[in-house]
Amino acid sequence: MKFWGVRLASILGAVAFCFLLEAVAQGQSSFVQRLFVLAGLYVTLAVSLNLINGITGQFSIGHAAFYQVGAYTAGFCASRFFAQMNLPPAAWLLLMMVTSAITAGLAGLLVGLPSLRLKGDYLAIVTLGFGEIIRIFAQNQEALGGAYGLTVAPKIQYVWAAWLLAILCIAVCRNLLRSAHGLPFLAVREDEIASSAMGVNVTQTKVVAFVLGSMFAGAAGAILAHFESFVSPPMFTMDVSFTIVTMVVLGGTGSITGSVLAAILLFYLPEKMRDFTNIPLAGVAAAFVAISAAVFAIRWVMQNFHGSTKDRAIRYLGILVGAVVIWFLSKALLGNVPSLKENIDGSKLRMVVFSVTLVVLMLLRPQGMLGHHEFSWDWVRSKFGKPTVKEATA
Amino acid sequence: MSLLQLDQATIKFGGLIAVNSVSFELKKGDLFGLIGPNGAGKTTCFNLITGVYKPTSGKITFDGKEIGGTPANKIANLGIARTFQNIRLFKSLSVLENVVVGGFLRHKTPLLSALAYMPNVIKETESLKAEALELLKIVNLDKVADVRSADLSYGMQRRLEIARAMATQPKLLLLDEPAAGMNPQEKEELNAMVKHIRDEVGLTVLLIEHDMRFVMSLCERIVVLDAGKEIAAGPPDAIRSDPKVIAAYLGEAV
Ligand SMILES: Nc1ncnc2c1ncn2[C@@H]1O[C@H](COP(=O)(O)OP(=O)(O)O)[C@@H](O)[C@H]1O
Ligand SMILES: [Mg+2]
Repeated sequence: MKFWGVRLASILGAVAFCFLLEAVAQGQSSFVQRLFVLAGLYVTLAVSLNLINGITGQFSIGHAAFYQVGAYTAGFCASRFFAQMNLPPAAWLLLMMVTSAITAGLAGLLVGLPSLRLKGDYLAIVTLGFGEIIRIFAQNQEALGGAYGLTVAPKIQYVWAAWLLAILCIAVCRNLLRSAHGLPFLAVREDEIASSAMGVNVTQTKVVAFVLGSMFAGAAGAILAHFESFVSPPMFTMDVSFTIVTMVVLGGTGSITGSVLAAILLFYLPEKMRDFTNIPLAGVAAAFVAISAAVFAIRWVMQNFHGSTKDRAIRYLGILVGAVVIWFLSKALLGNVPSLKENIDGSKLRMVVFSVTLVVLMLLRPQGMLGHHEFSWDWVRSKFGKPTVKEATA
Repeated sequence: MSLLQLDQATIKFGGLIAVNSVSFELKKGDLFGLIGPNGAGKTTCFNLITGVYKPTSGKITFDGKEIGGTPANKIANLGIARTFQNIRLFKSLSVLENVVVGGFLRHKTPLLSALAYMPNVIKETESLKAEALELLKIVNLDKVADVRSADLSYGMQRRLEIARAMATQPKLLLLDEPAAGMNPQEKEELNAMVKHIRDEVGLTVLLIEHDMRFVMSLCERIVVLDAGKEIAAGPPDAIRSDPKVIAAYLGEAV
């Protein structure tokens, strides 16, 4: 019965975490509450896309389509059936999450079944197309509110719901990878021909991953619809899909932990940028010069030196100092350029910082922040010099 | 009893007839060799048997069932496993995980239980891993079970491919140039390993090999292909002195 004890404890732990977040968010402004909810939704979106792109090795670039299908399902149902059902908001939201997961899953089946049979980049093209089609379809459908969108009543703004979904999504992916059932998914990513020679039904495996990923995106859509109490086509444009893809790539394709961290980071970073105002443009330009120089220096060191950790640390420290010097020098120089004498706001810089972060990461660590690795307590223990469980028992 | 039978199996790629009306038969417990110069159509023969390609004409029968054109994953489930000439391991997976993929086709628990990581899934995963470790012992890779398969030496990768194929618990094992790139000592070990697999594990083995000495010392019966056609068949001694075989291998020591 140890199993059920551990299982109960982890479920209670997850629920407790969600309500702790809810409690923390309650005291905050509605802006911060929004951050909490959207961060949870993006974690779900990134982790579920990671199942498709990272773990199974496909390349879907239209995940927002299933997010949209979910959101519109919830919006549509709310406007028709909520009044008659007489359910408490929490129960209604859970019901909508399930319903939206099902419709998004069906949409995933519809898109995935034909395109996942084919090898190559068809999936990318089809998912990209589907994202646009579904958005434009909603825009032209009176029953779905057309270009204006749908007002969704009731407004349900539970932080816990978003994070419960995120944790469920993480748990499902982690469980899959811990059991033998996850191996065919990874095998398909590594080599389709060898997988089928081992008895793996390659198409079925890809479709399962795709549908499962779509379902989580759909459930996230339901939460979004009720949180905003509104859904409209511009909420699901291509750059939402690209942001999610970026999160997966940045985190390290295949790593659940990486997707979670990248989702939070990439979501938080642009929001944080709004706080900065009146930044001198010359300073920004100088920062780019310094960062570029540092990146190339680091690449050079990575390729040419393989000394001890201490040696490398000293070199990197040198590069850091060098970069700061370059920053000061070029700021002084660039300060004289007339077009750089203005000040700008952080909100205008958001996308630039976003893309520079990506370029830097891809140059220095193309496998993503975590590569294929996952967070584990063994790893933490090894960092603190304690033997890992495996070593200790060996 | 005949386990595998090719009856005038033929495949054309455009104008090229890669396998031209090839017929041979394997009995249960055979250790059978398929040889021929480069480009003779040996690997393509394997691809026909394992469902990578559908024969243009002719029949392939396995265990009493016609299997020509059956999808590769179904063929694996029927009991044919193979290795690849150009090694196709799951590179970023560990040695053990590679073998578990092979054994996974015998899983019983549903995917839904795995998503919830239920006790029956944990148990099944453990037993598949234990089975895989046993197979790794046969190919002498149990010490490196946790190593990333891409980090193995060439010879070890070839042996891992054999273990992975055996994990599907096949009736028939197809080995495509298993000795390629191995040094003499590794070849010696491989020779013993294949014999062990046939004699102790009890599998029927069909093997492609370029190294004549290796095939002649290992196989009891041999079919020779040249330019898609079958030019000779019989025991090693007869093959060695067959003038057509010598002509096909012109310049090479047979
Ligand atoms: N998919 C394919 N398309 C076209 N030609 C092929 C294909 N597969 C094999 N061939 C050709 O068939 C012939 C036999 O190849 P193969 O079976 O690999 O030879 P080998 O006996 O060396 O294993 C070669 O000429 C090869 O180029
Ligand atoms: Mg070949």
